[in-house]
Amino acid sequence: MDLFTLFISAALINNIILTKFTGMCPFLGVSKKSSSAIGMGMAVIFVILSASLVTYGLYYQVLVPLEIEYMKLISFILVIASLVQFVEMVIKKFSPSLYKSLGIYLPLITTNCAVLYVVLENISKGYDFLHMLVYSTAVPVGFLLIIVIFSKIRERLEASDTPKYFRGNPIALITCALMALAFSGLAGLV
Amino acid sequence: MGNMLTAFLYAGVLGAIFAIVYTMNRMTPVPEGCEDLKVSCQGCRDIACGNHPSHNE
Repeated sequence: MDLFTLFISAALINNIILTKFTGMCPFLGVSKKSSSAIGMGMAVIFVILSASLVTYGLYYQVLVPLEIEYMKLISFILVIASLVQFVEMVIKKFSPSLYKSLGIYLPLITTNCAVLYVVLENISKGYDFLHMLVYSTAVPVGFLLIIVIFSKIRERLEASDTPKYFRGNPIALITCALMALAFSGLAGLV
Repeated sequence: MGNMLTAFLYAGVLGAIFAIVYTMNRMTPVPEGCEDLKVSCQGCRDIACGNHPSHNE
């Protein structure tokens, strides 16, 4: 029950985009088409999960024994960047079809602050391995959900008669704000 | 002092790992059919982003 609560809380109630306002760049930039949004969301799930596993192990097996916990920020940044490069290389070599669908988004995710937010939260909240796994799965699932919903709305906005000066980013940001308001209604539920 | 040296060495090792992996990634050829892949990103005001449409002009 505790894990389920954590999952729901991380994915919906404390949604990383609408509540924490991280990961806004790919959210606004890659949500024009729902196919791109799904691809981006899947890639974010993969990167956040793998980065969480690596950084969690690195923190408790290397940084803590060596008493250099203060190095966690810089080491996590380097680990995430290296991991994304490595994953891109492996996908290029062994799965061209996967590269075609997801690989192009990987460099975008390197600078996605949502990844760094999750790996730092895993440490600051003192999660054990299972809780870390659940949290690191729930957050990108919430990201995927919101980016897909937003992309569907934007596709409809493209086809609708939006006033000239609201077309494109202005109406997108207004939509984003309304979504954030809607999700803020969930606050305090868990 | 020993702790600081450990930290510098640790950062150096991570930096070296990143440099090696980055170079290996650059040397890995892009699969056939994926040469012209572009993210369908309209771009924000961040010109520094590699996916900003202005870089393709």
